[in-house]
Amino acid sequence: MKRQRIGIFKLASCDGCQLAVLNLNEELFDLAELYDIAYFREALNRSPLKQYDIALVEGSVTTERQKKEIIEIRERARFLMTIGACATAGGIQALRNWANLAEFKRQVYPSPELISVLPTSTPVSEHVYIDYELWGCPVDAEALSETLVSLMVGRRPGIPIYSLCMDCKIKGIPCVLVSQGDPCLGPVTRAGCGALCPSFGRGCFGCFGPKEGANIDALMHRFEDLKMARKDAVLLMDKMNTYAYRRTRLEQDH
Amino acid sequence: MNRIIKSDYLARVEGEGGIMIEIKDGTVAKVHVRIFEAPRFFEAFLRGRPYQDVIDFTSRICGICPVAYQMSSVHAIEKIFKVAVSPPVRALRRLLYCGEWIASHALHMYLLQGLDFYGFDSAWSGREYREIAKQGLRLKKIGNAILAVLGGRPVHPVSVRVGGFFSMPSRKTLASLLPELEKAFEESLKAIAWTAALDFKDYSPDAEFISLCSSEEYPMNEGRIMSTNGLDVTFEEFLAAVQEHQVDYATALHAAIMREGIAVTYLVGPLSRLNLNHERLPSGIRSAVTAAGVSLPIRNIRMAIIARAIEISYAFHEAIRIIQDYEQPEKACESFEPSAGAAAWATEAPRGTLIHRYELDEKGCVIAATIIPPTSQNLAQMEKDIAAFAGRHMAKPTDYIRREAEKIVRGYDPCISCSTHAMIVDSSRGSAI
Repeated sequence: MKRQRIGIFKLASCDGCQLAVLNLNEELFDLAELYDIAYFREALNRSPLKQYDIALVEGSVTTERQKKEIIEIRERARFLMTIGACATAGGIQALRNWANLAEFKRQVYPSPELISVLPTSTPVSEHVYIDYELWGCPVDAEALSETLVSLMVGRRPGIPIYSLCMDCKIKGIPCVLVSQGDPCLGPVTRAGCGALCPSFGRGCFGCFGPKEGANIDALMHRFEDLKMARKDAVLLMDKMNTYAYRRTRLEQDH
Repeated sequence: MNRIIKSDYLARVEGEGGIMIEIKDGTVAKVHVRIFEAPRFFEAFLRGRPYQDVIDFTSRICGICPVAYQMSSVHAIEKIFKVAVSPPVRALRRLLYCGEWIASHALHMYLLQGLDFYGFDSAWSGREYREIAKQGLRLKKIGNAILAVLGGRPVHPVSVRVGGFFSMPSRKTLASLLPELEKAFEESLKAIAWTAALDFKDYSPDAEFISLCSSEEYPMNEGRIMSTNGLDVTFEEFLAAVQEHQVDYATALHAAIMREGIAVTYLVGPLSRLNLNHERLPSGIRSAVTAAGVSLPIRNIRMAIIARAIEISYAFHEAIRIIQDYEQPEKACESFEPSAGAAAWATEAPRGTLIHRYELDEKGCVIAATIIPPTSQNLAQMEKDIAAFAGRHMAKPTDYIRREAEKIVRGYDPCISCSTHAMIVDSSRGSAI
């Protein structure tokens, strides 16, 4: 059987989700046996192909060049999957969506006129059709390998869609919101990290993005009961998945 | 003959960059290390954010060295708030760094740069290389395990906070890492010999090596900034002397230190650390270095792979020492009150000195942020090295020069996604040291 060809691509990102592929450790060689890793700039010196069976995309769309690039990747890929918060939700750099770009450029570069970028950072799904998405900042290496194996055998990947709270209950971690009175995004956030922050005694800060149908406003009210200003409560969601949380909240209002 | 030699998109480096060499009338007219990584504006969106966000956000600048960002930022904030952490916190932050040095160096040695000596395009492409790569991945896995025990996961760990950690592991949990660490330490000594036996082209450019230095230990989180040319300054003094300038072919700024009105390029990273601090390595590692036939200091950047191997060994050795001495403290975090102020701090990222400076208001929210990653400090030196190489080999075929230039860049282990997060140049900068 001919091995399927995988291409791994990068837009605006920190490279941490591509690293999840390399963090498969010895399994990396199993992956390279199961699939033909045909394009992976970070770890492989090979030119792009015309066609891929699977494209994994890390990073968000933040420049004109990336806008063209993602369309080209889509045209070459039979199956396109986003990996991580940047590609799936615009990433932390989407915080500029709520700010003035000219001001941002001036704050970082002495000659802002040399910097040419879009005023927004957007998820891949706003530009092309995507077949599957993996959330997380970063994605979980095991979830990635589960997905790739599932694709190969043609089954649905076993990726949880419930909220992070479920993981706390399963693991018997005391609720940081109830027992410590610490703000925690767990109730509105997808499971996927194994409830890492609560296991360290801190509130979830939303690496895995909003769970579908999350009641964000109810949680915001709960935070206000903790004597948190509304402004600070909202700021909790304005992190690596800011664009997705804000959108989920808006959709709920309608 | 005039020609332009280009590498459009470098492979096996972190982030997006390329090289352009222009040869004109028998001289190297221009060398550009082009950085086209999209800017993400961290220093801008950090403004107004509370102090814990600084730690969690700057981590997202780099998926390969998130701990470095957490360490430089948490120490700068603690300096502003005047918080002194407990000895076990200090030790475990060092252990966290050991994990990152191991994981990052092993990635670079075995999956990125090492292949240049064997001529394969990836770690899984050549059967002959497979055993070497597997050994590297075994070492890397243990680095990742340290990160996971202390921070929950290898990429963007979650446990670091101002005053200490959100929680600290039990002695037993940490001790369970010891058998693997001891085995890995032995393996890492052999890796030093492996790197030392690689075929290096003789090449020793004139460069000033800069690193943190401390009289007590091999540097990670503390020290003064020193150089092989006698520089010895505090973080603030160093920051005041660094001049960064913007070039039109890169989204990263280039750094140089001003000395008697002249911009001097310099080099940070494992080679700099080793050249300035090798006397503080444990004797077991020093004898393995001597036995491998390595003489210090090393000036050839391609040989940085040897420095990484030595540092991996040191990180294993240090991890074992820290774990053996560790007693879980009663509290994982000191209490503190946020206060207004400004401070700079530098720590040693796997790729070199990473400087942060913050100005916070009385609630501990960011007024201004400055981040100087190691790669922006190395860019100018990198271009100088390529120019010197191209100058000596001008008669060689284009392909050869391109390939070798790529290898030089890879030797620096550039972290391009880091490098695009640079700082504002203000009028106070550029004072001479």
